[in-house]
Amino acid sequence: MSNSSSVARVSAHRLLVVEDDVRIAAEIIAALADHGLDADHVGTGDEAVDLACRNSYAALVLDRMLPGKRDGLAALTEMRARGVVAPVLILSALSAVDERVRGLRAGGDDYLTKPFEFAELTARVDALLRRGKPARDAVLAVYDLRLDLLTRTATRGDQAIDLLPREWRLLEYLIRHEGQVLTRAMIFEGVWGYRFDDRTNTIDVHMSNLRRKVNCAGVALIHTVRSAGYVLRAPR
Amino acid sequence: MGLFGTGSMVVFGAIYVETATYLKRQSEIWLRREMAGRVLSSPAERIEHLNARSQTDFGEQRPFVLFAADGRLLAGRMATRPQPPVFDAPFIFRTITSSGHPITYRTLAHRLDGGQMLVVAQDVDEADDFSKLIVHAVLMGGAFMLVLGLGGAIVLGRSTARHIDAMRLAIERIVTGHLSERLPIGGGHSDLERLARVVNTMLDELERMVGEVKSVCDNIAHDMRSPLARLLAGLERAQRRDGDRVAMRDSIETAVAETKQILRIFAALLRISEIEDGVRRAGFERVDLATIAADAFDYHQPAAEARGIRLDCDAPGRLLVEGDSDLLFEALTNLLDNAIKFAGERGRVMLSIAAGPVIRVADDGPGIPAHEREAVLRRFERGEASRNHPGSGLGLPLVAAIARLHGLTVEIGDGMPGCAVTLRPGGPEQSVRKRASRPQFWRSSLHRSG
Repeated sequence: MSNSSSVARVSAHRLLVVEDDVRIAAEIIAALADHGLDADHVGTGDEAVDLACRNSYAALVLDRMLPGKRDGLAALTEMRARGVVAPVLILSALSAVDERVRGLRAGGDDYLTKPFEFAELTARVDALLRRGKPARDAVLAVYDLRLDLLTRTATRGDQAIDLLPREWRLLEYLIRHEGQVLTRAMIFEGVWGYRFDDRTNTIDVHMSNLRRKVNCAGVALIHTVRSAGYVLRAPR
Repeated sequence: MGLFGTGSMVVFGAIYVETATYLKRQSEIWLRREMAGRVLSSPAERIEHLNARSQTDFGEQRPFVLFAADGRLLAGRMATRPQPPVFDAPFIFRTITSSGHPITYRTLAHRLDGGQMLVVAQDVDEADDFSKLIVHAVLMGGAFMLVLGLGGAIVLGRSTARHIDAMRLAIERIVTGHLSERLPIGGGHSDLERLARVVNTMLDELERMVGEVKSVCDNIAHDMRSPLARLLAGLERAQRRDGDRVAMRDSIETAVAETKQILRIFAALLRISEIEDGVRRAGFERVDLATIAADAFDYHQPAAEARGIRLDCDAPGRLLVEGDSDLLFEALTNLLDNAIKFAGERGRVMLSIAAGPVIRVADDGPGIPAHEREAVLRRFERGEASRNHPGSGLGLPLVAAIARLHGLTVEIGDGMPGCAVTLRPGGPEQSVRKRASRPQFWRSSLHRSG
């Protein structure tokens, strides 16, 4: 899957995977491919900088531990210095929060600790790809669901939905990521703001309560995605 | 001893020098005084005095002599006539006594009107005798001290050498694996003894930690054995039934689930290790524990409600602490999870935060079974009832690791009823331990089911 073409390419959804472990890299690329995303692959920081500057990738998946003089963060810093603006998901074996901060400061946009589940990887890559300008609308709407951010009320059609403050925050997060599969970790981080691996899936109870309130008022909008997480989307 | 000896020598030397100088000065003062007296008297008196003196001065130790201008002896007694290098200032004059013994005088000479020379002298040895006395005393004392010192040093040294040898043997035994050995101490207070005591304390801690690690490794191996076994069984089943698509899919799903569980255990282990290493201390900031508690309460409230449990939170408006908000939240989550899990139907769980900081999570469930209470308080033993609960394996060790990182200790108390886990300031985190040794792995317990 290695491809170092000298022709500059602009691709809407082509990714660059920078990972020196060949087998993991193959798995990442396969997972992305299954998700409908094509990817190039390199194994060193230097090659990464080279390719990222010549081609315009939609996003990068970058391992921190790379062989040679230039490790992942150094490569990232260099890329940013040279004007690469594509969002970057950093992979690392280091989970310490200061390591994460360093990664984000070097120009990363998100951070995943190994070992990770591939559903988590693809969900976060999706989030990076769909990241647009933050919506400054006063109203968020999907199908017949409306969230009025000023009055902090939610309605489906003309029926008001009674939400607790945390349910409101949760729904707002889901609507802002409408159509994207969101993992439990992403939802938790997005709504509560902490970062940790909740092995007990407490979030399911929150989602279950919210789903009941939202789905019951009309056509189901919040769905569970098996082995991945949840999604809020308009019916087809 | 050498130091003391040298010091003493220096002191004695100083005393000697001072004494000798003093005596010399006194001698000179006496010479001048006598000279002044002789000069002032009339010539007749003078001669009479000098002659009278020479009658009584048998040893010729303090001769007063008068010489004529031409060198003839006029009064007093002196074998030879001195040739003063200078008048009216003391000088040393060597001559012999009448009996022929050599003698050295401290001499003062004065020229009288008419050319006569008046001489006043004192035997140098007279003053010297005292100095010699001191030197002898010093030498004797020095010799005595030397003997005593050497003797003492040999005795002391031998005893220290024996002590050090004993320690060395003990250390060798410890290093080869007999962790329960300790350095021998005699109950004294020498530096060596104090050091031995400190080392023994360190060994206590080391032994305990190694014990913990062994116990945790055993437990973890046990925790992972089942998922791994299930994983293998499922995959092998898939192999056997490879024609059956439904069974295959089923097996794969099971395999994925079990593997995720195993990965979670590993991830938790790695995190505990990282936390224990203090690596995450670098991420410390001033955080509001009250907010974190409120968020944790908010997060767990639905789950509690779903089980009919009442969750309460008692926290001040604001409580700033130095810490890692992610870790603190995680610790609270673990404690609340456990409490909710074990509180039983329609129970109560209370999360309280107070300045200190003191964090307390209490439930009024069945509590800790009597036969496990002591074990739980002493050492986070794994209780029987927890064996089949998923994911509860590394919860408390993680909480303990996070607590330690924040300078807190974990106490498991009997709530009477129920169980209360309290985190409060304290623990060896305060001491020297930085990148010390290995992790404080504590095995989780909390198994109280009736």
